[in-house]
Amino acid sequence: MSDDDFPPDDGLDATAEGADGFDADLLEQELRGAAAVLDPLPAELLQLAMDAYVLHDLEARVAELTFDSLVDAIPVRGVEDPPRMLTFQAGALTVDVEVTGDGLLGQLLPPQTARIEVLGGPAAARPLTVDGMGRFASDTPPTGPFALRLRTGRDVIVTEWLRA
Amino acid sequence: MDRAEVGALVQSAVDGDAAAWKALVEGLSPLVWSVVRAHRLSDADGHEVYQTVWFRFAQHLGRIREPDKAGSWLASTARNECLKVIRGLTRLLPTDDPQVLDRISEDRTPEQSLIDAEDQADEARRIRMLWQEFEELGDRCRQLLRVLMASPPPSYVEVSAALGIAVGSIGPLRQRCLRRLRARLDARGAV
Repeated sequence: MSDDDFPPDDGLDATAEGADGFDADLLEQELRGAAAVLDPLPAELLQLAMDAYVLHDLEARVAELTFDSLVDAIPVRGVEDPPRMLTFQAGALTVDVEVTGDGLLGQLLPPQTARIEVLGGPAAARPLTVDGMGRFASDTPPTGPFALRLRTGRDVIVTEWLRA
Repeated sequence: MDRAEVGALVQSAVDGDAAAWKALVEGLSPLVWSVVRAHRLSDADGHEVYQTVWFRFAQHLGRIREPDKAGSWLASTARNECLKVIRGLTRLLPTDDPQVLDRISEDRTPEQSLIDAEDQADEARRIRMLWQEFEELGDRCRQLLRVLMASPPPSYVEVSAALGIAVGSIGPLRQRCLRRLRARLDARGAV
């Protein structure tokens, strides 16, 4: 058994305090104190989560991630840096997206025109060019978390937030 | 955080109560942070995962089927995003060295300050030794303890969602891992 595994059962697990006076709760509490000093949640991340409340939008429909090449694709031998292929679905609408180091490409299915923005956080939105067939492209790859906001006719659809 | 409380806060946040959202973030972001840190991503990746989780939570707020389990939802979303990073990545780096403790400056006499400084230095040494031994535990123990030490402490259901460990085995595993840590500290002659 390697050190990566959990240690073997030593038969003393039944009670919080074993016969030898070991106090697990106390040690856990000490770790909690140490984490607060040595590995605290950065203040700016706490603030970003606070600010994320504006992303709560009941008017918009969420297009759920139904395919992610990072999880669902079978690796192709010899392909060093394959593009990230993503598929989102909202009702009858499918959004296919391909993210590479060079940018972002995509297609709405069934083909239709739409206004599309790339969201990068609570305050960042960048419009994309879309053709009449619902094909869109950007030569700036998304960095960090991103989502696409689509306006088709009367609908607003936002893809699930993902990390590029 | 208490599940009934979480459920009520989620409902209020859905209804537009910004203070409820703030309370959810304050109560549950330490858990999300712990899950991210437990997976030992680089700082940049960890920060992005943390943000992704909260952005997605905000996005799904009104659609979460069991609002009282929002803590588990956040924990398992964080876990999945961490695993994606690890899967997609050669960018995996060890975490940074623990930072030096901040000095506390207060109005004290020089003598008192000196005693305090020595006490603080002892305390800082003790904390660093504890952290060092914790970091050198096997991966699975380190992960489990890193999630458990979130403040406020997570429920076992949340820990289960964060690490993919059955709820029933968390108690015994916690006990073994803490015991192993104690043994390492004792071997170093730590108090």
